Amino acid sequence: MMRVIVRRLLQLPLILLVIYTLTLTLAWAVPGNPLERGERRPAPEVEAAMKARYKLDSFWGFYWSYMENASGVKWVRDGLSGKAAAEASKAEGLGVAPPVRRVFDLGPSLQYEDWRVNEVLAGSLPVSVTIGGAAMLIAIVIGVGAGVVGAVRPNSVADFGTLLVALVGVSLPSFVTGTVLLLIFSVWLGWLPVAEWGTLRALILPSFTLSLPFAAYIARLTRMGMIEVLRSDYIRTARAKGVSERSVVLKHALKNAFLPVLSYLGPATAMAMTGSFVVERVFSVPGIGQHFVNAVLNKDLFMIIGVVLVFSTMLVMFNLAVDVLYRWVDPRIE
Amino acid sequence: MPLAVLLAIVLGVLAVDKPRKRADVVVLNGGDASTLDVTRVSWQQDNRIVSSLWEGLVRNDVFDPAFGKIPGMAERWEVAADGKTWTFHIRADSAWSNGAPVTAGDFVFSWQRGLLPDTPSDYQGQLQLIKGARAFTDWRTAKLEAFAKDGGGKARPQEAAALWEETQRRFAELVQMKAVDDRTLVMELERPVPYWLDLCAFEPFYPIYRPLVDAYQSLNPVTGRVDARSDWTRPPLLITNGPFKLVDWKFKREMRMEKSEHYWNRDKVGTDSLAIAVVDDRNAAVVAYQTGAVDFNTDLLADYRAEMVQQYRACLAEHADAVAAMVKDGVDPITITRRLPPDKRLHVHPLPAFGTYFYNFNCLPKLPDGRDNPFFDPRVRRAFSMAVDRSNIADNVRRCGEVPSGVLVPRGSIDGYTSPAGVPHDPEGARKLLAEAGYPGGKGFITVEILFNRDMGHDIIAEAVKKDWEGQLGVSVVLKQKEIKIVREDLKKHDFIVSRGSWFGDYGDPLTFLEISRSGDGNNDRAYNSPAFDALLDAAGAEADPARRLDILRRAEELLLEDSPLVPVYQYVEIYMFDPQKLTGVSPHPRHKQQLFMLDVIGDGKGPEVFREMKRTQEARP
Repeated sequence: MMRVIVRRLLQLPLILLVIYTLTLTLAWAVPGNPLERGERRPAPEVEAAMKARYKLDSFWGFYWSYMENASGVKWVRDGLSGKAAAEASKAEGLGVAPPVRRVFDLGPSLQYEDWRVNEVLAGSLPVSVTIGGAAMLIAIVIGVGAGVVGAVRPNSVADFGTLLVALVGVSLPSFVTGTVLLLIFSVWLGWLPVAEWGTLRALILPSFTLSLPFAAYIARLTRMGMIEVLRSDYIRTARAKGVSERSVVLKHALKNAFLPVLSYLGPATAMAMTGSFVVERVFSVPGIGQHFVNAVLNKDLFMIIGVVLVFSTMLVMFNLAVDVLYRWVDPRIE
Repeated sequence: MPLAVLLAIVLGVLAVDKPRKRADVVVLNGGDASTLDVTRVSWQQDNRIVSSLWEGLVRNDVFDPAFGKIPGMAERWEVAADGKTWTFHIRADSAWSNGAPVTAGDFVFSWQRGLLPDTPSDYQGQLQLIKGARAFTDWRTAKLEAFAKDGGGKARPQEAAALWEETQRRFAELVQMKAVDDRTLVMELERPVPYWLDLCAFEPFYPIYRPLVDAYQSLNPVTGRVDARSDWTRPPLLITNGPFKLVDWKFKREMRMEKSEHYWNRDKVGTDSLAIAVVDDRNAAVVAYQTGAVDFNTDLLADYRAEMVQQYRACLAEHADAVAAMVKDGVDPITITRRLPPDKRLHVHPLPAFGTYFYNFNCLPKLPDGRDNPFFDPRVRRAFSMAVDRSNIADNVRRCGEVPSGVLVPRGSIDGYTSPAGVPHDPEGARKLLAEAGYPGGKGFITVEILFNRDMGHDIIAEAVKKDWEGQLGVSVVLKQKEIKIVREDLKKHDFIVSRGSWFGDYGDPLTFLEISRSGDGNNDRAYNSPAFDALLDAAGAEADPARRLDILRRAEELLLEDSPLVPVYQYVEIYMFDPQKLTGVSPHPRHKQQLFMLDVIGDGKGPEVFREMKRTQEARP
């Protein structure tokens, strides 16, 4: 098991390098000028200065300098060459705090020049992880519950009911469910806050909205798995032994029926935790999802690559976690 | 077990990331600031924040219809008889938020930074009105090019430092801007600039704290350029000289300001704390206001805002007599809503803005595909302009209180400027003109393509324009909708036939709207090239008498409308949302320069606690 984990972790930098190259190539090819904002076009002098500042004049120039900064090579070099120390002593002489040095420096945001991509991600990732985490918890509870009910009594009213709810959950886009929930619970009833972040109350609506499609999918997976498992021999044996139905379903069947759900949970958690543009917008949640969309719309190269690298890392890590869990649930897997 | 980990993460983050106590005033300012690096700012939203945290030599009196100037860091100023030499006297009680005095040298440093080709301001062209400034920028640009070429990619720290020292000497020699002593700033301009004080009140002309900026700049040994970072603008690092200091800034969440104890005019600051919140979704922004989370939304963009404006108008209509009496008396629109009985519908404030929505024609002789361009002929352009029914677009398509306009410079927004008559809506005349140009009944005319970007309702305006042109002129029109970035590229390459456009003025002079049609200007998407128009702008530049100068500019606008490289459609409206009985300090002036430190919640016991009203015209001009 340790070997698997170590091997996967060693693969990570290689995967990131390939993703970085692909992302930059694509982002670079997108038409549009990343230095332009809105109606106004920068004067030629301003554009030239900004291109020089951000190394936007040549693809390879940008490619290498970004890699140097993001991989930590620059950090080591500045530390060894004394440049970092010189900067710090200069700032000290002027009586102000020196610029922060980061090992993996993902560069500045082109759209929000005062911010480094590291800071933007450090601020928004915990928010998305929280909402995504809460959404997954809700999704698992609702999804597995509904799936088990549906499987135990297939084609019953309860089954059709959960089927219907699942269908709605998957098909209704979250800007509809979100807006309706916001309208009911915040505007009409006034129970839950709007445009706030940092309290448990503020977490309820966005995470519930985000959980719905996942819950629906989990319900379908659980139901399918359960129906299959409930027909298998060892369940019949268990029943023949006189094990209570409750124990058969929840102890014997669910554990095996959960395997497809488990393999779905890896990418699903990564997806939920890297934010949803729509849910974040509707509830004014300061998460990471908005950066995905805005960075591309604005052709904010540093932000695009930063977000993609973080997402890729999370995806690899969650898949690894799922593999580990898999072995734990089903020891037959090598 | 993994579920427990998830739960722990969720609760852990919540425990750490607690929201702050609500500020005295919470403002939605149309998204987060894109930068607070004063040299770099150019957006209205950013300017509003800069003018709350910093202060320039002077400020605009935003409650004066003439937009007069009041002292800022300069307690007084003089201009020589030739209109070119200005002397500013910095007040003795000026201070940065760390207590250090603001000096004349701080202004020299800040403006030099904007002039350097390494760290240019978007308004470098305006800074170059100072004598010798353009020569300085050009000199350093040439030197940097030579440096990069000579070095061939090698690091040369000594040479870079030497060039930097020479640059400082050159600046002192060339640029006629001097700190005579710590409290006296003298500058000589290339020519008399009647709006110079307005520029001094403009945020990119504000000072920055030198040691802080220096620590975040370094010389690049390969290119010889100053490499600048902008992340010194964040608390607790940031040092400013204005009414507020920045205490917290969470990206795209909240910016928190508190009254600065070092600001000279601190008694006039309306609140102890102010928060700029961010709500990206435009409908959620209205909900946030309704639930009381926000006091002032500076940009109401909700999908149903037209309905809200109609309700506002219906409410005014219910008190028609009282409103008419106040309008006659010269009372400003915000004060009118305050004096009427409280009504939720009056929390919406549609006010004409300092911006114009228009359509561009490609004025080049050939179209991008090589065909002859019929819009090269001014008669054709004028005909198309006359065929547009502006009132229909403003009243039936937009419905948000936009003012239909046949002129480019928004009427009544600049003191002393009389707008020309404007392009009339005259389909009959338009048809005659088009026939004269060789296209009777639109016969033989190319298929007109209208290029515009998605969102913001540009599509339905384009539909209305298409209907006018097809119905009145007999030409065929197709609509081309693209992503904003791609539209911008097409415009830059003049790869379009007709496109939608807009412009918001920067300073209180017609030039801010006219300049963008000068031949060779970076924002001349139309590729309009008229020596007569350029000559009028030059003549205005050389004219010392302000009234005669404005008259020349009026003639320039007249010529522009006659030549019609663009079709003005309407004057923008800016829709604010706040309770006029509770909040004061919002300026109804069409320049929409909001001084956030003037915002005052009436009844909270903080600030001067008086309702601010626009001065009546007769009071303002004694």
